[in-house]
Amino acid sequence: MRRTVRIDTKNRSAKDVEREIALHLELRAREFEAEGMTPEAARAAALEAFGNRGEIDLEVKVIAERNLHRRRSREWVAEFRQDLRVGLRMLRRSRAFAVVAILTLGLGIGANTAIFSVLRSVILRPLPYANPEQLVQVWTDHRGLGRPEPEWLSPADFADLRDGNKTFSAMAAFGGFAPDLTGAGDPESLTGMSVSGNFFSMLGTTPALGRLFLPADDDANAPQVVVLSDALWNRRFGSDRSIIGRQITLSGNPWTVIGVLPPTFRAPIQAFTPEIFRPLRRPSNSPCGRGCVTMRAIGRLKPGVSLGAAQADLGVIYARLATQYPQTNSKVGSWLIPLHEQLTGSSRAAIFTLAVAVGLVLLIGCVNLANLLLVRGATRAREIGVRSALGASRERLIRQLLTETALLALIGGGIGLMVGIAGSRVLATLVPEEVRRVQVIGIDGTVLLFTLVITGLSAALFGVIPSLQSVRTSMSTAVRGGREGASRAGVNARSALVVTQLAMAVMLLVGAGLLIRSFMKMQRVDLGYRAAGIASVGVTFPGVRYANPLAIQTAMDNLLTRLRADPAIRTAEITDLPVLSIGGDQDIAPVPLGEPNNANIPPSLWIRSVTPGYLKAMNMRLIAGRQLEATDIQSTGLVGILNEEAAERYFPGKSALGRILKRGPAPNAPLLTVVGIVANGRADGPNQPYKPEIFVPIPQRPARGVVVILEPSRDMPAATRAFGRALKEVDPLLPVSTPRMIEESIATAVALPRLYATLVAIFAAAALLLAALGVYGVMAYVVTQRQREIGVRMALGAEPSGIRRMILGQGGTLAATGLLVGVGASMLMGQLLSKLLFGVTPFDAPTLIAVPAVLGMATIIASWLPARRAMRMDPVAVIRQD
Amino acid sequence: MGGSDLFTGSLDLIILKSLTWGPLHGYAIGRWIRLSTKEGLTVREGALYPALHRLEAKGYLDDEWGMTETNREAKFYRLTAAGRKHLNKEIARWRDYSRIMTAALAASKTGA
Repeated sequence: MRRTVRIDTKNRSAKDVEREIALHLELRAREFEAEGMTPEAARAAALEAFGNRGEIDLEVKVIAERNLHRRRSREWVAEFRQDLRVGLRMLRRSRAFAVVAILTLGLGIGANTAIFSVLRSVILRPLPYANPEQLVQVWTDHRGLGRPEPEWLSPADFADLRDGNKTFSAMAAFGGFAPDLTGAGDPESLTGMSVSGNFFSMLGTTPALGRLFLPADDDANAPQVVVLSDALWNRRFGSDRSIIGRQITLSGNPWTVIGVLPPTFRAPIQAFTPEIFRPLRRPSNSPCGRGCVTMRAIGRLKPGVSLGAAQADLGVIYARLATQYPQTNSKVGSWLIPLHEQLTGSSRAAIFTLAVAVGLVLLIGCVNLANLLLVRGATRAREIGVRSALGASRERLIRQLLTETALLALIGGGIGLMVGIAGSRVLATLVPEEVRRVQVIGIDGTVLLFTLVITGLSAALFGVIPSLQSVRTSMSTAVRGGREGASRAGVNARSALVVTQLAMAVMLLVGAGLLIRSFMKMQRVDLGYRAAGIASVGVTFPGVRYANPLAIQTAMDNLLTRLRADPAIRTAEITDLPVLSIGGDQDIAPVPLGEPNNANIPPSLWIRSVTPGYLKAMNMRLIAGRQLEATDIQSTGLVGILNEEAAERYFPGKSALGRILKRGPAPNAPLLTVVGIVANGRADGPNQPYKPEIFVPIPQRPARGVVVILEPSRDMPAATRAFGRALKEVDPLLPVSTPRMIEESIATAVALPRLYATLVAIFAAAALLLAALGVYGVMAYVVTQRQREIGVRMALGAEPSGIRRMILGQGGTLAATGLLVGVGASMLMGQLLSKLLFGVTPFDAPTLIAVPAVLGMATIIASWLPARRAMRMDPVAVIRQD
Repeated sequence: MGGSDLFTGSLDLIILKSLTWGPLHGYAIGRWIRLSTKEGLTVREGALYPALHRLEAKGYLDDEWGMTETNREAKFYRLTAAGRKHLNKEIARWRDYSRIMTAALAASKTGA
């Protein structure tokens, strides 16, 4: 296109130059002729006087072409300034329209920018590791055994995967590490990781100081060494560079510091900020065996290897293990999840949902503006018609209208950017810690580019189509004068736009409805335990000073006695695994004695060691049997209390009371008597399913790391102080953590669903309002269009109610069509939402009833106002009008 | 156009001067120059055209196609406001220069 224009220009200016020079030569020759020369001689003399014609010709052509271009752009700028002037005048004249348009765009673009800034940093930005796209988390797949979640690996399985695979360039394992740091300063519990020797090199991490682990550090006989995080090095060691090679005391043992990580390092694990690292050194021949999943693994795929190929590769190894070790490995497989997906988790679905929601709101807003512009186009038809009659070209008119659009878009986009920056800041504080992860959420170049692009797209959407339409219709018809300038086709286009709007609003309403219903269900969930007014606090008894279970038991009894004696504390109990905590132990494949083998038997059982009063303190309802007693000690027979879930699945259809459960498939596994059954509790949070659980007396299953459950008599601060005092009396070397209210943990668990539901509901409300405005706009326009027809009908005796029915019917048709399309689209979108739903399906009946009701109401109101106007028209006045 | 060589910029100045009474086409400008300088310039007539287009590029001239008195289509050049201003400035400059040069070249040994 551009090329042809250039060639044209060149030809034209060159021809002009030739004509100019030819005229000169001709006139000059005539002058010579007048002096008495023959025509031939005169022509020759004229040429002679002119000089080198070819050279001059060329020189002039070059200059002339440049001149022409310069003039063109000068004209264009002048026209643009004129357009701008006219555009500003038009906007000033229709101030209400300008304000609506700019606010719609500003808020719409702002919300999109804010959400995109989150999407960008959480989902689009690569993880801070070398070639992060090659990293995958390696899980054990126990779905064949009825366990739906991906699970950790046993050291033996891991060793087989690591050594037998053909698709990974490296595979590293890691587990927890929670030492107490003593020495300089107060004792402190640290959060750490134990990692295999190749862990850091696989991630591509380099040390800030000293060195990181090598495969040799994994040897069982190698010296005890640790690596510190930058934060810990700062906090506890004042960034002292001489720390390398120094010994520190961890849980009573000496460890040598060999390196410090850079401040930019982030551990590849969610919701967890480890500060100290030790070599994993987990022997693959652990006595716990292959069923015991005790560590996690990350692998690096070889370049070019797909996830599917790696999955198939590990599948071959698992198939071999299944025949080799049928006891532990049948129906077990590998489950690979790309590390990026693993770390962004369920937030991905939420962020995508929010992005779709704000995108829809902006779309609906743009459609509204397009509709408004179409209406304006109709009212401006006469102006445009006159201008085109006066000789304005079609391109010129379109350019004028587009300049007005661009003006609106630029102002709207500017406001949008400001709203987006503010919104991004707010969102950054609302986004959960686990998601904020590595990257800072904020506005960067990509986000700015995004804002620019959506501003352009919005302008194109709401501006271009109406401009084309109004120019097309007006040029032909407007001069003839009638209001009927915009034709039946205009109404149809507008109706299609409104149906689209309604459909999008329906999608948002359905989404919001489902999320709100999920949240309400979560709120109403019976947790099955008491969460209010109870706090928990962890204590670990290190092996150096507490060599055997008896020493721990004595210390725990000692602590409980002191706590219970303190007037600030009403109740104090101990468990090794409180509610809402991550991890915990499971018995693998317990066997209910005397029960036929059935598919419903859970492959594992979650074990919680508790003090006798624990269930009562947590208000957990005993359904049958007895509580645990102080007399259930190490030397008496093993006993336990099952929750309903476990009781029903191990002993279906009969009372589990008094029955025997063998703790594992091994022939010599210990036997345990079921002495009680307790009601189910949602131990992992209100939106999590029940799990089979067993509560056993803590003396019969001692634990080194435990959690004290406290119920304060008066207030929490007093109880906290009492706890600190008591623990110091029992052992001054133990670090004192701050008790945390269980309610807070539950609030945190529900906070995200509430945030998503709130945001989507806000967007849906905006969408509904905008769509209703759209319906109103079209119906009002239809009434104006059909004024004369309505007038004639009324003059012929039509009842006003009949007219109203006609208008409302037309609105109703729009609503019904929009609803149908929208519900259909929502079904398709349900997939995206399903990860965020709790207790409702995407086909939730109340939502699918409420949405049409709300939308129908909004449509009726939106078309009733124009209908009323139609009814009140004076037929005579209307018919006379044109 | 026999006679003396042009000083730099003089052709531009003469062209601008030729247009002070109204628009002219290229040939007419050339004719006016020949007549007004008594054919005293040695420049080729063709040199007029690059100069015209260059003055146009500087914004001193504007052009428009129109009819000659003999009803021929021709390109007419017209002084722009900027062109007129430039011409007046150049005339003043030229007069100063010429006065100074004349005085200097006519001076005696003592400079008087």
